[in-house]
Amino acid sequence: MATTPTASSPPLLTGPTIVDRAARARVVRESIMLPLIFLTVAFGGGLRVTAVSRQLVFLPPSLMALVLALLLLGALVRTGTLLPEVLMRPDRAPLANASGLIVLISLFAAAAQVFNTTTPESGLLQFIVNLFFFLLLWNTVAAQPDRRRMVSSLIVIFGGAFVVKYVVLAALYDPNGGLTKRVLMTMLEGVTLGGLTYQSPAPVTGYVAFFTVLLFLIGVTLLPARAVVPDLDDR
Amino acid sequence: MPTLAGSGTLIRSFGLVLSLAYGSLIVWTYANQPRTMAEMTGGITASVGAYRIDQASFEDGLRYFHSDKFLEARSAFARADPAKQDATTQFYIAYSFLRQGWGRVYNDATLMQQAQATLDHAIEVAPGGRISVKDPNLTLTSSDELRAEIARGLTHDSSDLNPLKVFRGRP
Repeated sequence: MATTPTASSPPLLTGPTIVDRAARARVVRESIMLPLIFLTVAFGGGLRVTAVSRQLVFLPPSLMALVLALLLLGALVRTGTLLPEVLMRPDRAPLANASGLIVLISLFAAAAQVFNTTTPESGLLQFIVNLFFFLLLWNTVAAQPDRRRMVSSLIVIFGGAFVVKYVVLAALYDPNGGLTKRVLMTMLEGVTLGGLTYQSPAPVTGYVAFFTVLLFLIGVTLLPARAVVPDLDDR
Repeated sequence: MPTLAGSGTLIRSFGLVLSLAYGSLIVWTYANQPRTMAEMTGGITASVGAYRIDQASFEDGLRYFHSDKFLEARSAFARADPAKQDATTQFYIAYSFLRQGWGRVYNDATLMQQAQATLDHAIEVAPGGRISVKDPNLTLTSSDELRAEIARGLTHDSSDLNPLKVFRGRP
């Protein structure tokens, strides 16, 4: 039996209010949260603190990082994790399209900087890790996973690269040695580092990189899915 | 009372301004490469015209500089201008390198190169790219004169063999 709303009914539970709140949350997420998250990643991704002099160095992304970022954006679009038409389309208000553009640009910059922070800065190791990224992304695009699996795949790709650079390589090339280095050298008995060169940054760089990668993955998770609620400014 | 569409426009406008400001800060940081947090914060405040040097340390630096205690002078100037954003202080640091490296018989090339690097940076942060200092105790009072003297100090030619060179005046 249908009931009529009374004066004591909580007004916030009415249909349109919930829709409005969802629409407002979407606007806040798209206009403020996502750009701030991705710009912070773009800022932190290039930050290195030198081990000896403790000076700050801000490394812009390499050309390869830009190429990988483009490939990653392509993979995000192919898997439905990123829906460009939700962020920018002709029937949206100009300001809403501008917000969408900012999200796309900041996402690209953040992706480039995440590759920058998880790749060794030079030498053969950089080539190997870049190749590893390229093949993994290619494989991901070919497999066309859904949104959830794409995010899981990114956690594995960036988590693995982070561990290799900031845990394994940092320990192997630590001039003071340490337990991790001894364990790794024992495990890799008979193998020498040979001509492979790598310069470990200060440990604080690893912490910054960790939170940068984590923030990037949070940002990717928060990317808007297909809109079920119209924009506030499109009504 | 603002409408929902109006509030959306407000949020988007705020987000846009915030993103552009943050993006500009990031571009500035990567373009200027500050090496310490002091340089970073000093650079940001200087870009909005709010940077001030520590005047007491600057006066200390001047006193040391005029009594030819160049190491002490540079230490005081560095304290006065930790972000390296004040053109005049950087000019005096460059001048201290020049005076310390200048010699009647030969110049210290390393100190001269440091003078040149510091002066280049001073000109970079100077409004209009020119520095002029009103100090009667200085022989060279502009960035152009200082740059030319440093260049002369770094040049090696046949005039270096002139014995009368030992009688020239100190810049």
